[in-house]
Amino acid sequence: MKKLAEVLKDWEAVIGLEVHTELTTLETKMFCNCRLSHDDEPNTNVCPVCLGMPGALPVPNEKAIESIVMAGLATNCQIQRHSMFYRKHYFYPDMAKNFQTTQGPVAFCMHGQLDLEVSGAGAKERPDDTVEKDADGGYVAPIRILRIHMEEDAAKMVHVGGEEGRITAATESLIDYNRCGTPLIELVTEPDLRTPEEARLFMEKLRQTFLTLGISDCSLESGSMRCDGNISLRRRGETKFGTKTEMKNINSFKSLHDALEYEICRQAEVLEEGGIVYQETRHWEPSRRRTVVMRVKETADDYRLFPDPDLAPFDLTDEFIDRCRARIPELPDAKRDRYMADFGLKRADAAQLAGDPSVATFFEEALSAAGEKNAETVAKVMVNLVPSYDALTPAQVASLSALLVEDAITFAQAREVLDAVNGTSEDPAAYVDAHGMRQSTDEGALGAIVDEVLGRCMDQVQQYRDGNKKVLGFLVGQCMKAAKGSGNPKAFNKMLAERLEA
Amino acid sequence: MACLDQLSAAQIAAGVAAGDFSATEVARASLDAIERRDGEVQAFLQVSADLALAAAETTDKARAAGEALGPLAGVPVAFKDNMHLVGTRTTCASRMLENYESTFTATCVQRMLDAGATPMGKTNMDEFAFGSSTESSAFHPTANPWDTGRVPGGSSGGSAAAVAAGEVTVSLGSDTGGSIRQPASLCGVVGMKPTYGAVSRYGVVAFGSSLDQVGPFGRRVEDVALAMNALAAGGRDPWDSTSQPVAVDFLAHLNDPIEGRRVGIVPALMDAAGLTQEVRDAVSAAAKALADQGAELVEVDLPNIASAIAAYYVIAPCEAFSNLARFDGVRYGYQEQGCATLAEQTSLSRAHGFGEEAKRRQMLGAYLLSSGTYDKYYYPAQQVRTLITADYARAYEQCDVILMPAAPRTAFKFGELSDPTQMYASDMFTISNNIAGNGGISVPLGLGAESGLPVSAQLQGPAFADASLLTFARAIERSFSPDGGAPVAPAFAGKGGELA
Amino acid sequence: MPLTREDVRDIADYARIALTEEELDEMTAYMNEAVELLEPIRQYDLEGVEPTFHPIGDLSNVMADDVPDVEVRALPVDVALSNAGSSRGRSFRVPSILGDQGGDR
Repeated sequence: MKKLAEVLKDWEAVIGLEVHTELTTLETKMFCNCRLSHDDEPNTNVCPVCLGMPGALPVPNEKAIESIVMAGLATNCQIQRHSMFYRKHYFYPDMAKNFQTTQGPVAFCMHGQLDLEVSGAGAKERPDDTVEKDADGGYVAPIRILRIHMEEDAAKMVHVGGEEGRITAATESLIDYNRCGTPLIELVTEPDLRTPEEARLFMEKLRQTFLTLGISDCSLESGSMRCDGNISLRRRGETKFGTKTEMKNINSFKSLHDALEYEICRQAEVLEEGGIVYQETRHWEPSRRRTVVMRVKETADDYRLFPDPDLAPFDLTDEFIDRCRARIPELPDAKRDRYMADFGLKRADAAQLAGDPSVATFFEEALSAAGEKNAETVAKVMVNLVPSYDALTPAQVASLSALLVEDAITFAQAREVLDAVNGTSEDPAAYVDAHGMRQSTDEGALGAIVDEVLGRCMDQVQQYRDGNKKVLGFLVGQCMKAAKGSGNPKAFNKMLAERLEA
Repeated sequence: MACLDQLSAAQIAAGVAAGDFSATEVARASLDAIERRDGEVQAFLQVSADLALAAAETTDKARAAGEALGPLAGVPVAFKDNMHLVGTRTTCASRMLENYESTFTATCVQRMLDAGATPMGKTNMDEFAFGSSTESSAFHPTANPWDTGRVPGGSSGGSAAAVAAGEVTVSLGSDTGGSIRQPASLCGVVGMKPTYGAVSRYGVVAFGSSLDQVGPFGRRVEDVALAMNALAAGGRDPWDSTSQPVAVDFLAHLNDPIEGRRVGIVPALMDAAGLTQEVRDAVSAAAKALADQGAELVEVDLPNIASAIAAYYVIAPCEAFSNLARFDGVRYGYQEQGCATLAEQTSLSRAHGFGEEAKRRQMLGAYLLSSGTYDKYYYPAQQVRTLITADYARAYEQCDVILMPAAPRTAFKFGELSDPTQMYASDMFTISNNIAGNGGISVPLGLGAESGLPVSAQLQGPAFADASLLTFARAIERSFSPDGGAPVAPAFAGKGGELA
Repeated sequence: MPLTREDVRDIADYARIALTEEELDEMTAYMNEAVELLEPIRQYDLEGVEPTFHPIGDLSNVMADDVPDVEVRALPVDVALSNAGSSRGRSFRVPSILGDQGGDR
């Protein structure tokens, strides 16, 4: 198969995502008051409603409705005042009533948009000039959201017997209804994504947004956030859509990217050999790095959708929507802009810090301890150093940043300090002092060393004066050696240059 | 001492409260009546003697302890077998649920128990409430106590027959297209379908979710009013999204005069094809009786009512298909054994668990909801529903209630209506009220001149005017039942059931 | 156009009701007769008429608080499984799902 970059020169990939997110931070299920299950024994959190017992009736969870309205507002959707729940029928016992309660043509949230900032290597995946690129090749991709609707999750089924994990060989299946009825929101994008990287970024941004709203733990790994991708190819310049396939079993950001990459290349190969892409559902096998057919859709599924007579319609009031709006914390984009404006951070750093709510909180705590004037250094530490550690405190980061600002340690030493204090309550400044790591910037003391080094390294001095400026590094090294590591390299550098240029 | 079947619910509750007899004695009298009468009537699918005696004992202990008793203290009550009551099976008269043990108690049942009622058991019905004769019960037919060669009507035939035979004082049924009012008419008892939302549906196995409503049967209007008070007590049910509060004392206005109030008559309905002369004459006599009490008779028109049956047979099967989809033999219900695959197990469990009519309704619903067909039938049927509801609203600007027959004819013989679509016409006078969601009540008018079988009038009213329906029903009762209520079917009156 | 036997077979497959050949004939006759009964619905000009899916007047926005109920309605696992034709351990059991694919979720 051809490589992605080559394929995308000739073909345009048209990608749409369907993202299911369980509202894991709620207390109870969508239509009953059973606790949400996390790691409970099978069928622990069940009642007549979520077991679909005859005679049981649903009542919607108000907090779930608030959550989806918040999700809609945060993704720039129009909140629909009037909507209803519908019944979507299919016979499969993971849905206890053999229908799923979901929404019909009108969802709570319609017609939203998220703008993606695509930069770096990922931006290169998009070779076309339909987007405006900046000097570094980065661009902004506006991704429209068709809708976000409210529904309920299905039960978990375990297939037993036969080859491990192979549904087709299982002799029986066991059903656990703990998850059945968990509030679930489904977001459907318009087919606006053009590269695997854009799809990955969209999911990341959505995850960051939902995490910020606090409506879900958004774990792709555990399945509380799930993503299906629809993908088709068309020749560049063509406006008609090609036949799409649907990709399932995507449980990491990497899988999303890789599965789409594989599928784009597979479809291109089929089409270039004169073959036909069939409308089918395909399953991503991460271990074999390929997609395989799950089932072919010969006809559109007929789910016999109709408005659920057991559930009163919704006519959301302005007051209800305003209440939801008031509960939305600062979202990643707004936070990023604030970090740039208030602290002068670079856009990429600001975006990285603002993206993950727990990172942003950590950053802001460290910043308040270190002082806003040190924001740039704190950000640098947060972006470059902190991700490698698992048990640092904001106070430690603040202290370390202060040391860097004062040039009391080098960046290389900073790693050594963090290695030592990670997981302890030790103050980096105290550690540096205790281990004699603090570097002097005293010009008098360092000046003597500089003079001594210049005095004995006559050859290098001559080389410098002949135009070989690189030799300065060697001279700094000699100074450091002479100072036994306690001199600040930046200070040596400055003083050497001053003397040599004089 | 008196036979249980001669006492009203209020008399029983008062007697228990006064210590004239104990709730346990009443329960035993009811069990005795059931024992002596139900072999022939077969109104019951299950007699819950242990639950009844335990509940009666609780009532008696409460009295002994000086506690206030409920308004239905010691009153023997039966429940249609689509209502859950822990300690009983809930079968919906279907093989599908033959062994289904209730895992919770329906709100309507619980409220009757909370009012002090004694639960005597579960009554027969058309399978999953699909029918108008109780013949589609998977277990056995129920006989009309007035002529045991005839059907009691349906689908709540067992509940109607149990009251008509004097086995219990009050019973509950459910009414999706007439399933309370039509059997009440055929059995000569009072049967009320309250306004949709007035009584919780939680715990009642659903047939047509936007049509189903639970209501009481009794031999007296007052008994029905007492039961309505119990069902509405406690306000709306938080477990039923469509339930609404009813802040009315149904007894308070029972004997209000109707002088000057307006009774609507729909001429087209009085001339409807299929309506027998004796029923027409009896309903006309009821109109005259109301006029004699000072009510004003006004002609009103319901121009779209002729389409109600068509709208109903779109909406009801669609909702039935959906509601019955859950019966797949996995979590409960009949499960075909020895199947290699789930698909086979599901299809055979449903094929063998459901009876013919249940399968027909589901098949029709599955067809009508299919894409392409939905827009031809389901959506327009719900639009026609709007027109019918508007017709009623206009009519109620001119009158307080509308008087019409409850059923086109008196009880028919077993097997007489063998064609399903012919059976559907039994509900021609009742269906439109379910479509509109309004309340209605059947009131006995004595025996038909020709058949000698019970004939009833039906009163329909605006939404949440159910108390006013009871006022008019009581006015008819005053004229037609000089003894204060409908009689127990003569073949069974006084047979067992003595209060010791 | 009346429903054919094959149409009815497809509906029965979808509705998971196994019908014998004889039942299929009867069902086809019934469904065509029943659909005939529905004709009045198709005779209307319903332009601009809103449907009534819920006969509940203006009732809307019915919701419940997000508060767990582990006492009143929750079912212990043995009760939850008590009506099941087949179970294993704490789970409901079904035979091989070969041939089924579930919904498009």
